[in-house]
Amino acid sequence: MSVRDAATAVGGRLAAAGGLNAVLAWSDAALAAEAARVDALPARGALHGVPVALKDNIVTVEQPSTCGSRILAGYVSPFDATVVQRLRGAGALIACKTNLDEFAMGSSTEHSAYGRVLHPLDPERVPGGSSGGSAALVAAGVVPAALGSETGGSVRQPASFCGIVGIKPSYGRVSRYGLVAFGSSLDCVSVFGRTVSDAEQVLAVISGVDPLDPTTANRPPLEPQSPPASLTGTTVGIPREYFPADLHAGVRAACDNAIATMKELGANVVDVSLPHAGYAVPTYYIIAPAEAAANLARFDGARYGARQHSDGDVRALYRATRGKGFGAEVRRRILVGTYVLSAGYHDAYYNRAQAARARIAEDFTRAFASGVNFLFTPTTPTPAFKAGEKTDDPVAMYLADIFVCSANLAGLPAMSIPIGRFEGLPVGGQLMAPPFAEAGMIAAAGVLERHLDAAREVSP
Amino acid sequence: MSVSARDVAQVAKLAELAVDDAELPALTAQMDRIVSFVAQLAAMPDLAGAGTFLAGPERSPLRADVVNPVLLARPPAAIAPEFVDGFFVVPRLGALDGT
Repeated sequence: MSVRDAATAVGGRLAAAGGLNAVLAWSDAALAAEAARVDALPARGALHGVPVALKDNIVTVEQPSTCGSRILAGYVSPFDATVVQRLRGAGALIACKTNLDEFAMGSSTEHSAYGRVLHPLDPERVPGGSSGGSAALVAAGVVPAALGSETGGSVRQPASFCGIVGIKPSYGRVSRYGLVAFGSSLDCVSVFGRTVSDAEQVLAVISGVDPLDPTTANRPPLEPQSPPASLTGTTVGIPREYFPADLHAGVRAACDNAIATMKELGANVVDVSLPHAGYAVPTYYIIAPAEAAANLARFDGARYGARQHSDGDVRALYRATRGKGFGAEVRRRILVGTYVLSAGYHDAYYNRAQAARARIAEDFTRAFASGVNFLFTPTTPTPAFKAGEKTDDPVAMYLADIFVCSANLAGLPAMSIPIGRFEGLPVGGQLMAPPFAEAGMIAAAGVLERHLDAAREVSP
Repeated sequence: MSVSARDVAQVAKLAELAVDDAELPALTAQMDRIVSFVAQLAAMPDLAGAGTFLAGPERSPLRADVVNPVLLARPPAAIAPEFVDGFFVVPRLGALDGT
């Protein structure tokens, strides 16, 4: 198939998938221009003609980058994100910009100013979030791969809900230049794929040091590898804190099945403890809003953002612009972030959360130092929940991230792969590895993928 | 309740965020729910001496001290809310006192 044909085909699939509300910007003309650009490249790249969708908080010069927010309606960046430049250089077709929870704050993609994204298998359910648009498009077969972003599990959680692969790299593995900042010490551009190999190939292209992002590690890009035949010689840690007594029965059954498969494949499976795991969500929901409150200060109608005219002074302009431009969840997080940073509360909340983060990271260091190659856990406490089920209780929504946000706090690579279905809904299993040990983690996931029937219904 | 409507109004002012009086009760209840939830860190027993976790390279590399052209696809005027005669336009700052 020619690149032009590939572009036409993806345009047809995007049009057919319009009911998911997963896309914020695409056009046949833009796809044709992308095809012409790829055809004009001097050599075939690793992703020649492969359509890749981009979460709309990754900036591009050709299409608007709204972050799912009214405040950035129509905003077009004057530069491409580094990951976009690398995808283009490898011959990928930039297919579209995808819907998301506003500024990547949410776990269901219900907090977008442009409407909620529907789960491809059940429109009454959510695809997860905040990268729900990218996840839904990959799950629906519109694109083989997509970029999302993670601050606290926003790729692995929707990957689990939608039955696809989601990889969050180590903090510093992929440039954040051109990713609109939410929590700067946590944010990672991350990847969705229909298969482990698809996701790995895209991650390999976008990884590597970037002089425009001083938080990137000075390491060479990842090299895609063939998975080994077995897991012999691999030690897998099962953290007991991730399997509470009240864990959803379908999730537990799918995890039990995956663990049994790992043993059959020769893995040495051992029990481990991450004693501070239960504090990850409250720690995250102090640090992330605090960083968000600082990062989103720039959206004030003067530096960035659709300006709301006001009769008062410049501060009245700021308040009117931000008050009208941000949605409910973003406003809540800015307020919480400002509260925990304010005089009188800084020590009790923010400083305490920083110390808790250090303890959580130490738990992982200790587990990996004991000889464990990677950890296996459920990705989410339940399969995809129904739209509206958690929107009235922010804390209930936050707890959807209970198994995923630790890896962001500790800067670790982690990924979700589909491991079974319960009542027709996908269940994801999570692998977590030491910093910059993506290659081994992805290889193990490839072995599991080959031997697990992810479409199989599990019985508790 | 640990968070009051007065707290929310004060924090909103610090955050430069307009909040209508009508939405203050619901926002206060939500803030209180969130702050009460994260306050469980107070029960974490072993935080003394924990230090601070650093994500990414411990020492951020510095760029070469060379002035390079800014590689923008379009000029600042095209992305500014208002831009006149080479200047970004915002309301006057004169009325800051007393706000």
